[in-house]
Amino acid sequence: MAYYQRTYVLCYFCQIVNNKFAAKSENNKVCKCYQNIKKLLSIKFKNFIRSQSELRRKKFVCLIYKCKFYVKVESLIIEAMPSEIITLQLGQCGNQIGFEFWKRLCLEHGISPSGVLEDFATDGVDRKDVFFYQADDDHYIPRAVLLDLEPRVIHSIMSSPYAKLYNPENVYLSKHGGGAGNNWASGYSQGEKLQEEVFDIIDREADGSDSLEGFVLCHSIAGGTGSGMGSYIMERLSDRFPKKLIQTYSVFPNQDEISDVVVQPYNSLLTLRRLTSCADCVVVLDNTALNRIATDRLHIQNPSFTQINTLVSTIMSVSTTTLRYPSYMNNNLIGLTAPLIPTPQLHFLMTGYTPLTTDNDQTVNVRKTTVLDVMRRLLQPKNMMVSTGPDKTNHHCYISILNIIQGEVDPTQVHKSLQRIRERKLAQFIPWGPASIQVALSRSSPYVQSSHRVSGLMLANHTSICSLFERALGQYDKLKKRGAFLDQFRREDIFKDDLSELDDSRDVVDCLVQEYEAATQSNYLQWSAKKGQEEAH
Amino acid sequence: MDVNSTTDPMRVALKTLIQHSNATFTADDVLREFRTTKEKRSNRKLLKILEIISKNQAKSAEHLVEAAKLLEKKDPFYCLLNFLNHYSDTNIMQSIRKKDISTSTPLINKKMFETVTPDCVSEIKERVVQAATGCVTKPVQNSSLNNVTGGHSPTTPLFPPCNKQHAEVPWDYRALDNLQFPQNNILAIPISSQETLLLYDLIYCLTGMRGSYITPIECMTSGRNPSIKFMISEQIHNSLRDIAQEMLPLASYYTCIEQFIQNASLTECGQVLQAFSEALSSLIHDYYLLLAQLEAELNAGNLTVHKMLFYVRPTLNTMEVLAGVVSAILENELRGGQALTLLFNKISALTGDEESQKFVIQLTQLAAVPYMEILQLWVQKGVICDPQQEFLVEDNEVIRREELPEHYSADYWEKRYTIRRERIPCFLEKVSDIILRTGKYLNVIRQCGKKVTPPQLMNLQFSPTNQNHITVIQNAYRFASKNLLEVLLKENDLMGHLMSVKRYLLLHQGDFITQFMDACEDELAKNVDKVLPMTLENLLGLTLRLSSAKHDPYKDDVHCELLTYDLVTQMSKIMNNEEEYWLSHDRLDLNGLECFAFRYEVKWPVSLVLNHIAISKYQMLFRQLFYCKHVERQLCKIWKENSIAKKFSPQAAELYRSAFTLRQRMMNAVQNLEYYMMIEVIEPNWHIFIQNMNKVENVDEVLSFHQDFLDSCLKNCMLTDTTLLNRSIFKLCNICLKFCEFIQKSQRFFLDAELKSMVCDSNDEENSDSDVDISSQKQSESSLAPNDTFSERVKRFDLEFTGLLIGLLKQINDVASDNPSDRFINLVHRINFNSFYNQQMDKLCAKDSMM
Repeated sequence: MAYYQRTYVLCYFCQIVNNKFAAKSENNKVCKCYQNIKKLLSIKFKNFIRSQSELRRKKFVCLIYKCKFYVKVESLIIEAMPSEIITLQLGQCGNQIGFEFWKRLCLEHGISPSGVLEDFATDGVDRKDVFFYQADDDHYIPRAVLLDLEPRVIHSIMSSPYAKLYNPENVYLSKHGGGAGNNWASGYSQGEKLQEEVFDIIDREADGSDSLEGFVLCHSIAGGTGSGMGSYIMERLSDRFPKKLIQTYSVFPNQDEISDVVVQPYNSLLTLRRLTSCADCVVVLDNTALNRIATDRLHIQNPSFTQINTLVSTIMSVSTTTLRYPSYMNNNLIGLTAPLIPTPQLHFLMTGYTPLTTDNDQTVNVRKTTVLDVMRRLLQPKNMMVSTGPDKTNHHCYISILNIIQGEVDPTQVHKSLQRIRERKLAQFIPWGPASIQVALSRSSPYVQSSHRVSGLMLANHTSICSLFERALGQYDKLKKRGAFLDQFRREDIFKDDLSELDDSRDVVDCLVQEYEAATQSNYLQWSAKKGQEEAH
Repeated sequence: MDVNSTTDPMRVALKTLIQHSNATFTADDVLREFRTTKEKRSNRKLLKILEIISKNQAKSAEHLVEAAKLLEKKDPFYCLLNFLNHYSDTNIMQSIRKKDISTSTPLINKKMFETVTPDCVSEIKERVVQAATGCVTKPVQNSSLNNVTGGHSPTTPLFPPCNKQHAEVPWDYRALDNLQFPQNNILAIPISSQETLLLYDLIYCLTGMRGSYITPIECMTSGRNPSIKFMISEQIHNSLRDIAQEMLPLASYYTCIEQFIQNASLTECGQVLQAFSEALSSLIHDYYLLLAQLEAELNAGNLTVHKMLFYVRPTLNTMEVLAGVVSAILENELRGGQALTLLFNKISALTGDEESQKFVIQLTQLAAVPYMEILQLWVQKGVICDPQQEFLVEDNEVIRREELPEHYSADYWEKRYTIRRERIPCFLEKVSDIILRTGKYLNVIRQCGKKVTPPQLMNLQFSPTNQNHITVIQNAYRFASKNLLEVLLKENDLMGHLMSVKRYLLLHQGDFITQFMDACEDELAKNVDKVLPMTLENLLGLTLRLSSAKHDPYKDDVHCELLTYDLVTQMSKIMNNEEEYWLSHDRLDLNGLECFAFRYEVKWPVSLVLNHIAISKYQMLFRQLFYCKHVERQLCKIWKENSIAKKFSPQAAELYRSAFTLRQRMMNAVQNLEYYMMIEVIEPNWHIFIQNMNKVENVDEVLSFHQDFLDSCLKNCMLTDTTLLNRSIFKLCNICLKFCEFIQKSQRFFLDAELKSMVCDSNDEENSDSDVDISSQKQSESSLAPNDTFSERVKRFDLEFTGLLIGLLKQINDVASDNPSDRFINLVHRINFNSFYNQQMDKLCAKDSMM
C-alpha cells in the first residue's frame, strides 16, 4: 500500500504544480519522483502483482490508472519544448564514431576543439543548443555521454585536442576496466550493475536540458559493450523516458571479412531484438557497405577506421542538419523520423550519400551536381550505406524516402526532379499506402567549404534491409545448431536459467524479417506473423 | 483738324443751358472743368457749375441730386452727359451716335453704345475730349493707351481684373453692328486720294477700329469666337479694294488675339494661359510698332497700298498662325496642359514654315514656364504648388497619417497622389509616370524625416526642340528613386523585415514555430472567446527570446492576433475588400487555432511595402500553414505514443496496423501539402522575388514584385479560390485532428496491452477489475484488447478521410486542367507519388462521368 500512498501524494502534488505552471526546478523534482516510482513499478511490478491477493490486485489496477493520469500531467509540464538531444556513445565503435561526429559538429558550428566559439562564427545562423549547451563561461559542451567498459578509446579521446570539449563528468569508464570481452551477455550484465552510476549521468543531462526530445545512441551491434551494455541502457531508457525518442546509429559488422569475434552472430541477434522493441528509429550503418564504398568509390585500398568513421560522421551530421539549421520542415527529431516510419516495427533506416569524397582526392571526383543528379544518384544502390545483397526477385521497395539536400539549390528544380523520378519510375514504392520522396532543402554550415555545389543525403525505409537481419539469423542458426560458444553466455545472470532469451530474440528478429517481407506485398495490412518458434524447431 | 463745335450736340445743349441761365462761362469752359483729372477737380465745383447752368430749368433740383449721385460713383463726364440729356431736345447719346464724323476723327467713332454703360463712359469721354481738342491721335498711340491717357488710367485699365463683362469691352467691331456709318461719296475722288483714305481706314481697321469704308460683317462661325470679315466700300476702286482685301484678315486675327489676351487675364484661366497671353501681348506690341511705322510712313505720304501689303505680308502669316492657335484654345476651352499640348502640336504642324515655327516655339516656351515651375517644384521637392489645378499630379490628401496609421500606408501609395490624364501636356506624356513617382518618392523620404537635397540645382525649362527637360526629369527621378530605395533598403532594412516576416508568418523558422506551438497549444485549443491574448503575447515573447529567433533584430515586431473570422472569411474579405463582412459572421464555433495569426508591425516607411493588405495576405498563408503544421504535430504525437506498439507481440500489433497506416496516409497527405506549399510554392517564389529585388530600381518595382510574390503564393496555395479547394483542405485537416483525438483516447488500451503483456496470467480477472476505477468513462466497457468498435471506427475514419482526400485530388485535377500554368497539379503528384490513389480516383472520375 506504500505504493498507493506515494502515487496519491504525487498526483496531488502534480496537480498543484500543474496549476501553477511550476518553475523548472520543481518540474525536475516531480520528474525524479515519478521516475523512481516508475522504476519501482516496472522492475518489480511483475513479481509484485503476482504475489498479491486478488483484492490487492484490483486496487493496484486502480493505482495504475492513476499513474496514467499522472503521465498525462507530467507530459504537460516536462515536454513543453522538445528540441534537445542527448548523445550516448557506447563501446569502442560508438565512441569512435561519436568522436568523429562531434569533431564534425564543432567544425560546422565554428566551435573550437576546446569548446570556444571561433571568432569567425556568428550567432543566429544555426541552432547549437540541440546538441550543445553552454557552460557558465559560455563555452560549448556537447550533450554527450561517453560510456565504455575498457579505457583504450576513451583515453585516446581524452588525449586528443578535443579532450576539453566534453564534460568530464559525462565520461564514464568502468572501474573494472576489463571490457566486455566481446560478449553481449557480459556487457548486458555489467550495464545492469553499473546502471545507477550511468543513469545518474543520464538523468543529470536530461535535467540539464530545457526540453529534451530524445536520445541518440551510437554503438555497434557485434561487440560486447556497444551491443550488450547498449541493449541494457536502451531497455532502461525506453522505460524511464517513455515520451522521449530513442534513435540509434547502429554499426552492423562487416560480412566480407571473417570477424575475430566468434560470438558475433549471438551478439548481433540479441542486440537486434532490443533495437526492434526499444528503439524508435535505427539508422543502420553497415560496415560491409561502408568498406565497399571506401574501396570501390573512394579508391582506398585498405580503408582505416578513421576513414570509415569520417563517412559515418558525415551521415550523422547531415541527417541532423535540419535540426541544427532549421527551416520550414523536419526541424525536430520526431518530425524527421515519424514520416519515415509508418508502423512501429519497420523503423530501420538505410542511408545514402552523394557525392562521396575523402580528404585526399577532392579535386578528382568533382562532378556536375544538380538536384536531379543528386537525387538520382541517391537512388542507386551503390551509394547506399547498407549492403543488402542482390535482390533476386526484385520485389523489395521503398516504404518512404527523405532526401536532405544541401548547397546552392534552386528550389524550382526540386519539383522537376521529383517529376522525372516519378515518370521514369526510378524508385519502387510500397503498394499498400502512399509513399513519396520528401525533399528537405537544408542550409549547410558556412564554415565548411565543399567543392560540390549540391550534396544530398537519403534517409530511406526500404524493405530490403531485412536481408541484413536474414543474414544475421542465418549465421545465428549455424552457430546455434552447433551450440558453440554458449558457455560464456551461461556465465552471466540473464542466461543463468536457460537460453530462452536467445530463442525469444530469434523469434523477434524473424518476425521482423517476415514483416519487412510482408511490407512488399499489397496485403500487408492483413498480414499476421507466423510463429517463428515452430519453424525453428 | 477742323472741329466744328456747333455740330457737337453736347456743346449745343450746354450753350442753350448757359444762355438760359445767363452764366458767365462758355460751353468749352464747362467741358474743360468736367474733364480735368481727378486730382484737380472737386465734385462740389462741378455740381456748382451744373446748378448755375440749370438754375432756370424745370426740375433742376431733381436732376442735380441725380447728378450728385452719379458724380460720387461715375465719371464726371458721364454725369454731365446724363445731366444734359435731360435738357436737350434730342437725345445726346443717340445724336452722338448719329453724328457725322469726319475721317479725321475716327477715334470718336470707335466706341458707341446703344445704351451707355457706366463702364464705357470714360472711353466715350476720351473720344470726345480728343475730338474736342482736335488732337490728332496716331494709331500707334492706341497700342499704348496707358501712355496717352496718362492719369486716366485708373479708370480705364487695359486689363480690368476679374471682370468678364469688362473683358468684352476692348477694341472690337462687334458691338458696332447697328451703327450705320454714313459714307462720303468718294467715288469722285481720284485713285491716289482714295488710296490715302483707304490706307488710313486700313490702319484703323488693323488696330481694331472701324473705318469709314471698311465695315465689318460679323459672320458667326462655330463656337463663341466669331471671326470677323470686312466689306470694303464699293466706291473704292477695284484694284485698291483687292489689295486691301488681302490685308484685312490681319484685322480679324488681331481682334481674335486681342480678345484672347483679355480673356486669359482672368485668374481662373490658369497660369499657363496667363503666361501665354503675356507672351502674346508682347508679340502684339511688335504688331503695334509695325502699324505705327506704317502710319508714320503714311503721314509722310510715302505709303501706298502695295507697299503696305509688302510690309504687312510677313505679319499676316504670323498673325494667322497665332489666331489659329488662339481660336482653337478658346473654342475647346483648353487650359493648362491641354493648351500646351496644342501649342506643342502646332510646332510640329508648322514644320515647313520655319519662321512661324520659331515664334510658336518661343511662345510655347514662355507659356510653359509656369507649368515647368510647378513641375520643377514637384520633382525637386515633392511639393505641389498649383492654385489653378493645372498640374498633372493631384494631391488627394484626405486623411492624415496620424489618424489612421493602419490603413494609411496602403492607401497612401495608391491614392494620395494621382495623375490627371487630361492635364498632361503631350511632351510629358511619356514621363508622366516618372513625374508622379518622383514626387511621391520625395514625399516619402520627407515623411521619414530626411532632408532631400538634390545633388545639383537643376533648371527645368521646356524646350520643344530638344529633350533637355526629359533628361532633367529623369535625373530627378533617378535621384529620388535611388534615395528612397536607399532609405527603404539600407536605412530601414526592408529585406531584413521581409526575411523576418517570412521567418514568422511563412513558418520559415520552423523550430521557432514548433516551440511556439508547444507553448501555446493549450491556450489555442480553447474557444476563441476564452483565449487570453495577453497569455499568447507573453508566451510569444518568451518563445522569441528562448528560441533561435533571439538573434533576430526584428523579433519585437511580431505580435499575436486573434482574427475573429476564419480563413475562408478572411479570404473573401481580402479579395472583395468587404470590410464589413466579418461583422455579421458568427464566431462562436471557432477555436483559438483557427483564429490565430501573427501580426507584424512596422513603422513608416517599411509599412509602405508591408501595409495592412500585404500583412493580411501573409496572415492568410500563415493560417493555412499553421493549421497544417498543427495537424502534422498532432499526427507526430500519436506516432510517438503509438510507437509503444513495437513492444507488442506481432499478433497484437496487427490489430493496430490499419490505424497506423491510416495515420501514415494522413501524415503523407498533410506533409506533402506542407512541402508543396513551402518548398514548391513559397520557396521558388521567394527565390524569384529575391532575384528581382537584387536588380530593383525603384520603389514601385519593389511594391509590384512584393505583390506578385504574395499573389502567386496565395494562388498556388489555393487561397484565392474561395469556393472549393481551401475548404476541402480545411476539412481534410479537421478529419485528421479528429482521428488524432480518437487515437489518443484509445491510447489507454495500448497501455493496457502493455500491462497485459506484463501480467499475462491474470488476464481474465483484470477485464472486470479495470472497471472499478474508470466505470464512469465511456470506453470502460471495452476489453483490454481493441475490440471491433476500435477497428470499425478506424475504418469509418479511413473511409471519410479517403473520400475527402480523393475529392480534393480530383478537384485539384479539375482546376489544374483548366489552368495548366498553375502548380496545383504538383500537389496531386506529390500525394499520389506512387500512384496509390490512382484506382480510387479513376473510380470517382468514372462515377462522375456516369452522372
